[in-house]
Amino acid sequence: MDRIQISATDRSPRVDFDFASGRFQLSGESYPEDAAAFFGPLLQSLRTYLAAAASEPIVFEVELAYFNSSSAKALMNLFMPLEDAAGEGRAVTIRWLFTKGDETIAEAGEDFASDFSHARFDLVETSQAEC
Amino acid sequence: MTVESAAEVPSPAIAPPSRRRSLRGGGPLRGDDFLTLAGFTDVPTATPGTMRPGALRGSARGRDLDSLAHTLFLRIYPVIAVVVLATQIGIAWVNYNDSLRLYTERANLLATLTAQAIARPDWSERPDVYKTQIQALTLDPAFRFVRAWNADGGLVMALGDMPGGRSLELIRASTEITVPDRAKPVGSLTLGLSAEALRGNAEKQAVLALGASLVLMLAFVLTLHANVRRHVLAPLKRLLIAMREVEHKRWSTVELEGAVRASNEIDVISSAFNRMVEGLRTGDEAKQLLTELELAHAKLADANRLVMESIGYARRIQTSVLPDRMALAGAGLDVAVLWEPLHQVGGDYFWLERLDEVSVIVVADCTGHGVPGAFITLIVATALDRILHERGLRSPAEILSALDEMVRAQLRQDGRGSESDDGLDCGLCIWDPAARRLSFAGAGISLTTVTQAGMTRIKGEKRGLGYPRHGSERQGNERFRTETVTLDVAPGDTFYLMTDGITDQMGTTGGQRRLLGHRGVSDILLRSRDEELGPQIKTLETELAAYRGAENRRDDMTLIAFRPTNLA
Repeated sequence: MDRIQISATDRSPRVDFDFASGRFQLSGESYPEDAAAFFGPLLQSLRTYLAAAASEPIVFEVELAYFNSSSAKALMNLFMPLEDAAGEGRAVTIRWLFTKGDETIAEAGEDFASDFSHARFDLVETSQAEC
Repeated sequence: MTVESAAEVPSPAIAPPSRRRSLRGGGPLRGDDFLTLAGFTDVPTATPGTMRPGALRGSARGRDLDSLAHTLFLRIYPVIAVVVLATQIGIAWVNYNDSLRLYTERANLLATLTAQAIARPDWSERPDVYKTQIQALTLDPAFRFVRAWNADGGLVMALGDMPGGRSLELIRASTEITVPDRAKPVGSLTLGLSAEALRGNAEKQAVLALGASLVLMLAFVLTLHANVRRHVLAPLKRLLIAMREVEHKRWSTVELEGAVRASNEIDVISSAFNRMVEGLRTGDEAKQLLTELELAHAKLADANRLVMESIGYARRIQTSVLPDRMALAGAGLDVAVLWEPLHQVGGDYFWLERLDEVSVIVVADCTGHGVPGAFITLIVATALDRILHERGLRSPAEILSALDEMVRAQLRQDGRGSESDDGLDCGLCIWDPAARRLSFAGAGISLTTVTQAGMTRIKGEKRGLGYPRHGSERQGNERFRTETVTLDVAPGDTFYLMTDGITDQMGTTGGQRRLLGHRGVSDILLRSRDEELGPQIKTLETELAAYRGAENRRDDMTLIAFRPTNLA
């Protein structure tokens, strides 16, 4: 599958889905006017990728400074097939990065983490300044 | 004169320019004839005083291009002709004088030779002896006459006619006949030679000079004309054509390489013209783009005004759906409300109502903001109204469950096929003053309390209300269920229900760009806990803005602060 790379805007995150290496990244902020329109194609690609019989480990990295509730829903939708794949024995790691002291994002990560039982969900505190 | 005939008089704008062709009536095409053949005509204009499109053409056309050669000829030729003629006349004059001098010398020589030949003391007595000598003079083709006189002045011999007076055509040579032995001359001799040949020569020279001048003139005219035409007129015509094209905003440039060779100056003019055309073209394009841009901008401004008007109207509707902020006055509660949609209208909603003995306080954050969010708030408002008044529910947990069901039914998320993936977070409190008890249930919204013990946050259910339940069971395919939390209230206890728009303030703190979060908001509320609720909310708003700095707000904001009073 072709790698998906989308540059960040002030309202949507940077996307880098490298299917070949099994590395997925979302970073920046996410509050697009229409979250379904932005995340829909990504979810579709992810599902297609997971449906193909491959077994290399998957690392899905999320480093969002802010996301609105629609984006949270969309993230949930992205995570569900990953958890399902992990349930089927695939090595899946979610890396949830949050800035030191950002309890909102950390809390959201904890909320997401509680939904996973098969995939590994790492909460990673970062301390480097973004700006 | 009738009106019709008056109308037939051509307007000056379209009247053909009057030109005199007296000099070269049937001559070659004029510059403007050429342009007419090339398909250019003047654009008539009805309104006088306005600059007509052909203004440039007027000046360029009025001056006949061919008259340039004519003017050059008239200015230069007389000078050349006068110089040539003067030179020829000078040469002729010198030649004539030289010839005249030679003739005179010849006449003198002949006369002297003849006089010496007949110089004898007695020559006049025997004219027969010397007659042959004198007759020899008649052999000269220019001979006219000869006269010989003796010492006394008596005519001895006469040949030919001697015209009376002086004549230009006659050269006279007189000499005395002297004998060495005698002191006095023994006679005199006068010879007349004709200068007619000289005059003939002079005439011939004059005719030659005139002819040469004429030939020179002809050659000059032809050369001048050919060169002006080739090196000046042809490139100028191309320039004119290009200018006319440019007048009609067809951006054509002039390329003089190839067929037409231009003199250096015209080359320079042509490049300057091309640069000008390029400048005009880009200027015109820029102007057109600017016009289009202005048009688009005006349309956008129009569309924006329409949308803003429409949204302004929508805001009136939404605010009229919201309760009076003083709805709980007299119910034993101090209440302060902050409701600030991101875009005039929004997905945040609150409800305040006194129902019999209890007061209901609701804060909801529907998915989306702006107009889409506002739509959901109307559904929530209707559903809540039915739950509270028709079904008469008073338990926060039951109310939320009912709300969940009704919203899903309304948005057809209950399996009847719907595109809606919408829902809401909701926090709901019921204050029972008689029991001094506050009960709370939340779905995605927590209750923040500030009591003597400090600040606590009672989280509701993680999951929101609404949203279709298809798919994973983790999302909960079943009805929304939660527990009601009941709190005993002490005097001074203050409670806050807020949407995530309050806590999700992006800002930079300690070099790190991150959200303010619940902790940040709680800190602000704790710092200002001694203020009245109204001022405290103002303080909060100010501090939130300060934290954001240059960042924009991300979401609608709603916060309701309430503090039970009269708790003796």
